[in-house]
Amino acid sequence: FHLNFQRANIWLAAVTKQNVNAGMVFEFLYKMVDLMQAYFGKVTEENVKNNFVLIYELLDELLDYGYPQNTDTGALKTFITQQGIKSQSKEEQAQITSQVTGQIGWRREGIKYRRNELFLDVLEYVNLLMSAQGQVLSSHVAGKVVMKSYLSGMPECKFGINDKIMLEAKGKSTTTDDPSRAGKTSIAIDDCQFHQCVKLSKFESEHSISFIPPDGEFELMRYRITKDISLPFRIIPLVREVGRSRLEVKVVLKSNFKATLLAQKIEVRIPTPLNTSGVQLICMKGKAKYKASDNAIVWKIKRMAGMKESQISAEIDLLQTDSKKKWNRPPISMNFEVPYAPSGFKVRYLKVFEPKLNYSDHDVIKWVRYIGRSGLYETRC
Amino acid sequence: MMPAVRGDGMRGLAVFISDIRNCKSKEAEIKRINKELANIRSKFKGDKTLDGYQKKKYVCKLLFIFLLGHDIDFGHMEAVNLLSSNKYTEKQIGYLFISVLVDSTSDLMKLIIQSIKNDLSSRNPVHVNLALQCIANIGSKEMADSFGNEIPKLLVSGDTMDTVKQSAALCLLRLFRTQPDVIPSGEWTSRIIHLLNDQHMGVVTAACSLIDALVKRNPDEYKGCISLAVSRLSRIVTASYTDLQDYTYYFVPAPWLSVKLLRLLQNYPPPDDPGVKGRLNECLETILNKAQEPPKSKKVQHSNAKNSVLFEAISLIIHSDSEPNLLVRACNQLGSFLSHRETNLRYLALESMCLLATSELSHEAVKKHQETVINALKTERDVSVRQRAVDLLYAMCDKTNAEEIVQEMLHYLETADYSIREEMVLKVAILAEKYAADYTWYVDVILNLIRIAGDYVSEEVWYRVIQIVVNREDVQGYAAKTVFEALQAPACHENMVKVGGYILGEFGNLIAGDARSTPIIQFRLLHSKFHLCSPMTRALLLSTYVKFINLFSEIKGDIQEVLKADTNIRSADAELQQRASEYLNLSRMVSQDVLATVLEEMPPFPERESSILAKLKKNPWRQGDTEHKESKMPPAIMNHTNDIKGGVAADDILDFKASAPIPDRQGDQNILHDVFSSISNGPQAAHLPSTSHVDNLNKFVCKNNGVLFENDIIQIGIKAEFRQNLGRLGIFYGNKTTMPLQGFSTQISCSGSLALKLMVQAKPVDPVIEAGAQIQQLVNVESIDDFKEHPGLVVTFMYSAVQQRLDLKLPVTLNKFFEPTEMNSESFFSRWKILSTPSQESQHIFKATKPMDPEATANKLTGFGMQLLPNIDPNPDNFVCAGIIHSRNQQVGCLLRLEPNKQAQMYRLTIRASKDTVAGSLLELLYPEF
Repeated sequence: FHLNFQRANIWLAAVTKQNVNAGMVFEFLYKMVDLMQAYFGKVTEENVKNNFVLIYELLDELLDYGYPQNTDTGALKTFITQQGIKSQSKEEQAQITSQVTGQIGWRREGIKYRRNELFLDVLEYVNLLMSAQGQVLSSHVAGKVVMKSYLSGMPECKFGINDKIMLEAKGKSTTTDDPSRAGKTSIAIDDCQFHQCVKLSKFESEHSISFIPPDGEFELMRYRITKDISLPFRIIPLVREVGRSRLEVKVVLKSNFKATLLAQKIEVRIPTPLNTSGVQLICMKGKAKYKASDNAIVWKIKRMAGMKESQISAEIDLLQTDSKKKWNRPPISMNFEVPYAPSGFKVRYLKVFEPKLNYSDHDVIKWVRYIGRSGLYETRC
Repeated sequence: MMPAVRGDGMRGLAVFISDIRNCKSKEAEIKRINKELANIRSKFKGDKTLDGYQKKKYVCKLLFIFLLGHDIDFGHMEAVNLLSSNKYTEKQIGYLFISVLVDSTSDLMKLIIQSIKNDLSSRNPVHVNLALQCIANIGSKEMADSFGNEIPKLLVSGDTMDTVKQSAALCLLRLFRTQPDVIPSGEWTSRIIHLLNDQHMGVVTAACSLIDALVKRNPDEYKGCISLAVSRLSRIVTASYTDLQDYTYYFVPAPWLSVKLLRLLQNYPPPDDPGVKGRLNECLETILNKAQEPPKSKKVQHSNAKNSVLFEAISLIIHSDSEPNLLVRACNQLGSFLSHRETNLRYLALESMCLLATSELSHEAVKKHQETVINALKTERDVSVRQRAVDLLYAMCDKTNAEEIVQEMLHYLETADYSIREEMVLKVAILAEKYAADYTWYVDVILNLIRIAGDYVSEEVWYRVIQIVVNREDVQGYAAKTVFEALQAPACHENMVKVGGYILGEFGNLIAGDARSTPIIQFRLLHSKFHLCSPMTRALLLSTYVKFINLFSEIKGDIQEVLKADTNIRSADAELQQRASEYLNLSRMVSQDVLATVLEEMPPFPERESSILAKLKKNPWRQGDTEHKESKMPPAIMNHTNDIKGGVAADDILDFKASAPIPDRQGDQNILHDVFSSISNGPQAAHLPSTSHVDNLNKFVCKNNGVLFENDIIQIGIKAEFRQNLGRLGIFYGNKTTMPLQGFSTQISCSGSLALKLMVQAKPVDPVIEAGAQIQQLVNVESIDDFKEHPGLVVTFMYSAVQQRLDLKLPVTLNKFFEPTEMNSESFFSRWKILSTPSQESQHIFKATKPMDPEATANKLTGFGMQLLPNIDPNPDNFVCAGIIHSRNQQVGCLLRLEPNKQAQMYRLTIRASKDTVAGSLLELLYPEF
């Protein structure tokens, strides 16, 4: 079997003799890309060429006899370095050995920070397909929680989110929460996966996420949500064919979130017929341009507050052709970035316990940030 | 031809193309193209009118984009506009766009045709040529229809320029290929032929191609071209290279034209007119002479041109096959090429020699070069040339040199390329058989063959050696001894084991006297190979063992042990298991007689076409030349390879348990019955001869289902139902071979008057029948009026690349539309009397051809479709029937009386029908049945 994918102009391929779990293989390949990025930045042809030796060294650690071993950047960085071989003392070597072979392979002992700090990024990608009449045909959010931790010692963390099941599990023990309120603020996660540091047994039995984090940046969890998504933008297209040589297109863009929030990097892409011979554009906000090379009108708005509306109208001149094919009207797509999680995902708490060192949960400085971005966000016209 | 484009190269186009070439990725290229397309669209749409240059530029860009693989759906109108420009480059681009991009159904076609017409009648020859080129490039039916009249006129008219004539000839050739009736016949014929006399060599060359195509279609009409071609050829050949200035290519005068003329002449037999013939022979001789002259130039082009003319001349000599002198000279010339250092020449020489070898006149001459050819086989580097050498050796082989050639080929086989081994093996096998004076030699050769190239020895080869050994008593002992020795090699090929197993099983007794090959040694030797063999070989060996039991009862015990072994009697392979258990039981039979009868020596095989020759014929890509050689073989050989088709001896060799005489006449049938109860009558069924289908057709008079036609390739069965004047036939086509039948098609036709009387509708059939598969075709018939003939069924298909055609008749006869009618004695006789005019009655008295069995007769009459009415005729032996024939137009009542006369073995058959012709036709159908 041959499994591969392409990243820019680099192909990553894996071959297997037997029928193996393809998901596992791809996960491994993606991890490898992440790892290479962490080591030498962008994965480009040139960088790969320049880092052949390093990549071989990494592969040697990543995979033994075809079994993935250790793909954790932090752990690998302790003993595979780009600065050549550091002369390591016996103790250090022993430490690395015990760490890599030990129970917590992703964190070494004896980390110390003056300021204990952690950052949480909730990143969501909204995918949508909407009919011209405004009916949602399909939508889902693919999200991830990325954590950057600068914590001393071997801290144990507990992470709480507004997931329905977790709240219910909590609800049973406390039973003080108002069920109606809980229903509103909780979300239903369709599926999720965790970083290897999360203790799955605890998640299974107590529905709580607890873990000892690796040092530095890592992806704590990934999840997918399909229900109750608040769509940040709504596109209302209006296409009118005037005879065979003209087309009038009007697109209304409505922002659908709290007026205090600001969306950024908004870009609406309106496809034009293949026989377009000229385009006139009028838009109230932002800048719009006909890009012949993409066969589309691109409308860009830098910032837009919530609960606002904007509009673009275009007149498209068509050239008569002899082909009988009708234009199949590809959907209008858009890109944006909003400062909240469209799925309603909320971090409820993140508690840090470090029994050996004397700092408590209160001493840790925590930062939480939500970003909602567009995935494939399309409206038919 | 094309005037050089002036300095006005299109800058925009050049920039665009270099942009595209500089694109780093596919995506970037698509973006650039989209942008350009948008730009062109806006330009075409814009209100500003574009001048010719701009239009040309944009149309050019569109063409370029199209040629990169993108769809272009506009710009056609602009291209058509360009046609009316007076500038050559603009017109040229317009035509180019149109011939590449406009499809023939477009609305613009009328405009385009008009433009072309204008250009054709233009005074500027360059414009006429552009138009002609465009017509030829499109070459559609419309073009043929629109310009079919004008182009021939242009071609023969006196005041057309030479270059235009040249284009017109080629354009006409193109149109002729799409629509053959575009060339007018009659007076045009001679005018076209006379183009060969044209002053301008270009015109002659173009016309020659045209005439060659025309001749292929209608040789008789263009017969006149022979003498013209010959005289033209002789003028060229005798010309010195300074005479034909523009048409001399590296000192060879008009080589292309010469080749074309020589090819043209190959469409006809040698000319009858002695003058022309003499002239042609002179030409050919001159060409041969020239080949021996020292080269005028060292350039490869010179020798290529010279040799191409020479080879074409040699082809013509071989084609005529009438001038021994020329043939021998050609052969000698080719012989000198055999050791030429140019590979292509060696190849061509060998190929042409192959053909020469098949001609009786030059066969001996070719044989002189045997040494060189064998040498070529050994030393040649190029595999395709070696292949030709093998072919040539095969072709030049005859009784006198067979032994040597076979020996050489055997030697070569050890190192031969894998790709040609199988074919070589076949050829060696055929030659060894065909020219074997001494069959021990033949056996040696074949065994060597198996030893050297066992993997490439196909089944047919070893079947054949067995057939020959079985049929020729004088070699049996020798064969047994030789295989025994061959089998002693530590590793021997499975095919060797098969041959060995078979031959020892049959003739092992002939060498059993020798102490070195006693029965038990023979058996142990064979059995030592047993575990290495495939199930098929094992099955064969089991049969050998049981034959040993018969031949040498002293080793019965050992053999029974082997048969009893779990690997045999409990083998996973059903065939092995069955054989083991049956043979074991058979060997336990008390009576030695039974054993001896069942396991008797195989009877000689019927002489038939050598199966290997059939195999060589089947070899699809060798088809042409083998057939060719076949047809030129001396008659004595033809007898040997006579015309019985197919006939692979596979079954009867392997299954000797079944082809051993099965005890019909034996006393102790019962016991044997148990033993053989599970054996089907396989071989009998498999070897149905291809029965002539007339017999089969008659079988259908009295029944509706059965096999209409059968041969080794296909079986055609019929299942029919009739009701009133309607009928439905299911025709089943079964592929009996192991290869799919390709291009399968059937056609059902009613000839002549039958078309008015019978409606036949057939559903289409799949074009392919997979190996062993059967397909069905439904046919609906409706009788409109009474009829006599059978509808025809033509089945065509490709079997191993050979077109097969079967002309059959469908068993649809008038009596199928009978409806039986009940009536009592009274009404029968009253009707009988009404139908008493002589034309209504038909009577025939005839001798019985089959036993006179009343029951069978009754069955036949019922099957004929009529109601059998018992107890009506006063004589109980007589048969009386009644029925109504339905057709769309009418219904015909019929009465029948059949009076058998047992003493005289005669019948009298009387049919009366209410329509005059019907009684007669029914009578003709029915009486051959009795």
